[in-house]
Order: sequence, then C-alpha cells, then structure tokens
Amino acid sequence: MEGAEDVYCCTGCEIAAELIRGAGLERYYAMREDFAPRPGGLEAGWDAVPVDLDGAGIASCRVQVDGLRCASCVWVTEHLLRAEPGVIEATVSYATGRATLRWDPAAVGLRDLAGRIAALGYRPRLLGEEAQFDRDLLLRLGVAAFAAANIMLMYVALYAGWWSTMDTRFVALFQWASLVLATPVALWCAAPFFSGAVSGLRHGVLHMDLPIALGVTVLYTHGVVATLQNQHAYLDSLAMLVTLLLAGRMLESRGRRRAAEAAVSLAASVPTTAKRATASGLEVVPSAQLRTGDLIDIGAGEEVAADGTVRRGTGRVRMALITGEADPVEVGPGGEVVAGSVLIDGAVIVEVEAVGRDTVLQQMAERLRIAADRGTRQSAADRIAPWFTGGTLIVASATFAGWLAAVGMDAALTRAVAVLVVACPCALALSRPLAGAAGLGAAARRGLLFRSADALLDLVDVDLAGLDKTGTVTEGALVIVQGDDRVLRIAAGLERYSSHPIARAIVEEASRRGIPLPRGTEIAEEPGVGISGAVDGKRWSLRAGRPGEVRLIDEQGTEAVLRLGDAVRPDSARIVSALRELGLEVVLLTGDHRDVAERIAAETGIGTVIARIDPVGKADWVHARQREGRHVLFAGDGLNDGPALAAADVGVAMGRGAASSVLVADGVISSGSLAPIPVGIHAARACRRAIRVNQARSIAYNVLAVSAAVAGWVNPLVAAVLMPLSSAMVIWGSSRVEATVRRQLA
Amino acid sequence: MNAVLFLLPIAILLGAIFAILFVLAVRSGQFDDLDDPPERILHD
Repeated sequence: MEGAEDVYCCTGCEIAAELIRGAGLERYYAMREDFAPRPGGLEAGWDAVPVDLDGAGIASCRVQVDGLRCASCVWVTEHLLRAEPGVIEATVSYATGRATLRWDPAAVGLRDLAGRIAALGYRPRLLGEEAQFDRDLLLRLGVAAFAAANIMLMYVALYAGWWSTMDTRFVALFQWASLVLATPVALWCAAPFFSGAVSGLRHGVLHMDLPIALGVTVLYTHGVVATLQNQHAYLDSLAMLVTLLLAGRMLESRGRRRAAEAAVSLAASVPTTAKRATASGLEVVPSAQLRTGDLIDIGAGEEVAADGTVRRGTGRVRMALITGEADPVEVGPGGEVVAGSVLIDGAVIVEVEAVGRDTVLQQMAERLRIAADRGTRQSAADRIAPWFTGGTLIVASATFAGWLAAVGMDAALTRAVAVLVVACPCALALSRPLAGAAGLGAAARRGLLFRSADALLDLVDVDLAGLDKTGTVTEGALVIVQGDDRVLRIAAGLERYSSHPIARAIVEEASRRGIPLPRGTEIAEEPGVGISGAVDGKRWSLRAGRPGEVRLIDEQGTEAVLRLGDAVRPDSARIVSALRELGLEVVLLTGDHRDVAERIAAETGIGTVIARIDPVGKADWVHARQREGRHVLFAGDGLNDGPALAAADVGVAMGRGAASSVLVADGVISSGSLAPIPVGIHAARACRRAIRVNQARSIAYNVLAVSAAVAGWVNPLVAAVLMPLSSAMVIWGSSRVEATVRRQLA
Repeated sequence: MNAVLFLLPIAILLGAIFAILFVLAVRSGQFDDLDDPPERILHD
C-alpha cells in the first residue's frame, strides 16, 4: 500500500485504513472538517426527535443509517461514535443499517451524534415505530422445553416402575417434582393459547387455540388431583404438547416480524428535515412541521420531504421508490414530486401538498403494515377445531354418564378424563406445520424460499398470476433492442463518456456488436435534453424521442431512431406456458408504456397487459380480482411492487430485487429466473396432499384412541405410547412430500 | 437409592438456575439479533 495512490470504495474504508496505519482516532477530527456538510443543516431536526430516557437518565434511540457500503463503514461509524464523550453504547447493524445509541444527554445531544454520522458521509434518518422481537414467546418456549425435558426423564422412571416394584416414596417424589415443573408450563407458558381461545370466543371465532386450551386445562387439573391422590398423571404429555405448539408459534411470529420491518424501512425513507422558503429566506425545519402550502427548496442530490407540485426551477427526479423505473423523470413548473424521491440534478421549489401520513410513500408503508397485521388466516385445522372440541366434549360427557350409571363415580371420572386426554389435538395441530416444513424445504431446494407454510399452501389455489415487467419477466436492465450499426456507432461515439443509463446501454450494445467506437469531439451534454457533438467531422445530436426511443439527428435535420427496451429473460416464455399448463391465467403489469409492455407480452406469450399502472394501482388490481373470487399470485422485484406483493394471495419477490419487496413478499426466488414458481406450485400441491393425509390419519387416530378411552383401556402409559405414535405417523406422512415433488418433476 | 430423594431436588434446582440464567439472557437482549454478531467477528 505504501507509496501507491490508494482508492477507497467509501470514506469508511479510507478512515479505517488510516486507523490501521496508526493515525489514530484524532485524524477523524481533521477529516471531519474536509467533508462538505450535507446540504440543509441536517442537525436541526434531530432536537425534536423523542428519545427514551431510562431511570438513570440515560437516553437511547434507534436510528437508520443509510449509505453503509461495507464492513469498514460499520466499524468506523461505531468506533467514532463511541469516541464521542457521553456515548455509552453505539452499535450499528450491517444487515439492517440500524444504529442503537445510548448516551448521557447531559454530555452530548442526539443532534451531535446524528451530525457525526452525517459528517462521515453517511445519512442518519429517523426510524418509525419498530417491530419488537418477541422476547416473551422465546421465554415461554425456553421454560416449557426445560420443564418438558425434565418431566420426561422422571416419567421414564415412573413407567419403568410399573413392571418392577418401586418404592412409593420415589413414585410420590417423581410425581410431585413433575407437578412442580408442569405448573409454570400450564399456567404461564400456555397462557398465549388461553388468551387466544378467550379472545376467539369473545369474537365468536373458534380456532385451534380452543381445543389446545381445553386440553391443557384438563391435563393439568387431572395432574393436580392425581398427584394429591397418589395416582398416575399425564404431565409428560402436557409439557410435550405445550413445547411443540410454542415452537410452531415461534416460527410463525418470525415471518410476521420480517414483514413489519419492511414497513418501517419505507417510513424511514423520508428525510428528517426540509428547507422551507419564507419571506426572510430559507429556514431548516423538521419534515413533520411542514404544512400544506409551504414552499420548500430542494437542491441537487437532496431528497424530497413531502408530496407537492414544482413551482419554480427544473431538474431530474429519480422516483424508483414509487414507480420502480430507474430512469430519472424530468420535472419543471407544474410537475409533481413525491416524498422519498431524489432530485438528481437541477434545483426546484416545491409547494407542499401532502405531508406525513398523507404522502404516497406513507400510504404505501401503511398498506404494508396492514398486510403484515392480517395475522394468521383460518386454516383447515382451525375450521375443524370447533367440531373437534364439541365432539370431544360430547363423547366425554357420554362416557361419564354411561360409566356413572354402569359402574360408579370413580371409574366414570377416570374414563372421561382419559377421553379428553387422548383426544388431545396435538397430532391434528402438528399435521399442518410438519407437512408445511417439508413443502417449504422441497421448494427452497429448487430456488423458491417461502416465509411460511401458509403462504406456500396458498399457491395451491392460485388461478391468476400477475407478473411485473421490469426485473421480473425481463432482466431489468436497459438495452438497445433495435437500431442499425451505423446509427449505433455514431451514438456510441457521442455517449462514450456519459454515465447516463441510456448512454451505457448504447455503448454496451455497440461493443457487443463489435463496432469500434469513434471518438466524439465538442461533446455538450444538456441534462434532460440530450447530447450533441461531432463525429467523423459532422455534427450530430441525440435526443429523447417517443417513449422507449432515442433519435439521432444530423446537420440537415434527418433523423434515425434507436429503440430502447428491456431484454426478456431467456426462459420467461417457457415459464409462462408452464404456468398456463398448471391452470393459471397470466397477466403482465407494468408502470411502463403500453407499446413496450405489449411487445414483451407478445414475446413471452402473455395474453393480457395492464400498462401505466402505479404501485397502489397494482395493489388495487389485485384486490379487484380477489373480489371476483380469483386467487392471485403476484411476482415482482421492486420496492414499488411492495403493496401488490402484500395484497396478493401469494406475493413472490425476485431475490435480486429491492430489499423491501423481498421482506414483504410471501416467497422469494433466489435465482434470476421465474422457473421456481411452477416448481413451487408442484411443491405446494404435494404439501397440501400430505396435510390432508396427515389430518385424515390424526382423525383416525383420535377415533380409535377415544374409542379405547371410552372402553376404559387408556391409562397414562398407553397415552404416553399412543400420543407420540400419532405424531410419528404425521412426521412420516410429511417426509413423503419431497419424494412426491421429485417424482412429478422427473 | 435413597440418594435420589435429595439428588432429584438438587438436579431440579440446578436446572432452575440455568432456566433463570436463560430468562436473564433473553431479557438482556442476547437473542434479539442473531444475524449481526456472527458477522461482527469478521469486521474487527
């Protein structure tokens, strides 16, 4: 490194390299001055940010940091924040870009810390409400697993004792110890099932929580009574049941949290402050204080803080967040801009029309939030639940009444309890998660990752596939699709040194065709208009034509056209016909122009095209089809597809697309192809079959076991054998999913 | 065999201590983020 001119990917790397060389942290203070502060006095808005204060007067806050490019960025940000007097904790997550800060407000303020981050060249942002990691559920699961393991150890001893004589003191000890361990499991760990059952009853919905709560109540009450009377209890079955069911619930809640986080990232995309134009000049105000009718000043490279109309100035705005199209859009007086978009060049004054919750961006975030909150839908097992519960109660009462009349109180009670115990919904409640996990695995091995088994199973009923164009059916990069070599050669000469996406596409296509690039002279680039210059001694200018076209104009005013487009993925046509064979109607949706969309549709064999549709429009389309009774699959790659992905019965994101679309989707394709979608449908169908078989088996088990219990053949040992046996049956049924999928694809 | 009479409560007590340590670990946020710390080793 010594003596060489070093080039760093970012300021983080440069500072990190300096620190490694021994320049020390003090160099940071020298460097800080070199960085031009971010436009707009970013610090101002941070004073208004609410922070949490703990008992000792220590403030804490979570902040989104944008622009972290590599591990060094994280390292430098953390170390320099920690070097700040008064900072107690500063950790930055590379995966999410979130900084957790704890500091002494007497020594340093949040605006200073935000200023430090900004001075490093990163962009601190305010974070919206955050989804909390569910610590409570993990605690319950941990405690239940601990108790279950210990109880089962003691029950093995108890069961062994049935065949040999066992000292009654030990029997009593094991039973009491098991009761002590089972108490927190029944009263605390299982509490979510009780509250679920109660809230379900209150809303008139009977779901799987009800038989579970009932089972736990019966098992535990019987356990207490049996232990007091020195009889055998079913406490091992109780602890096992609660542990397995909590583990299932834990897996479920993780998926929901991911979706909620995507909404937070969107909310964080609005800048914290804005420059408001007043009679006396510009003042920096927190974005939240902007009002409709305010005029805000936006310079090149700055983000727009509110939705509004341009009143003065021109510039190019990148609205990828909203439209998903990467090309900047020209705006001038009367043009509309939305919060979260970026002004690439120029300068504009915007009259504010919508702020905060009313902005397009916030409405998108809100839709994601609602979608994430829709919670678990009622599954087939949930629909069986009321019948299951009712049936069990009726059979138990009948058993009690019958034996009471025939034999007596004791026998009647024991048998009624045995009915309630063996009719435990464990196998039924597990039949779906286990087969679901097998289905998820089968799909994942073939490039389609699903967030939950529920989402995968929804693929079975899908009869309509909405495909986003850019980046999903197509590769997502701009290419020249039409234009002769001579025109291309001159255009490439003009655009050779431009970094505009169209320029890159032209130069790339020329190189691909093996055309030697001429050297253009007197090149003049007019932002938003085009480029002109001399090639081969003649003057040319390149102008944007109709959408998807670029015109090359010579001195006499003669025009030649280059058509721009987006290359279709090589296997898209094959996938579309595969989806059709599976019984799906395929529709292409895009924010792009109709003629471009129709060309792509013709190339891939898609029948229906919906063009010029905005993100909310895509979601509305999904809702409209759903109201018609269709089951909609939506595949897309951009952040702008988020609302539609969330609204669809099954949303599938391209893994190489925007992070937020990945987070909100039900499934993610890990390869750059749509091929995993039909494969996923096969996996989902195999999974659905396995679940049906599992459910049939567990119902058959219940019928047999309940009959045995009615007859009085069931005791705790029989239950301890029967219940795992029913679970084993379900596991075996689930393991066959992979084999089925393999056979179908062969 | 009588040893079981006092060994069992001791075993459960030891187990309970670990269960409490687990509770404290969860409360202190050790399990909140399982993605970043493994990467963090590579950063330093």
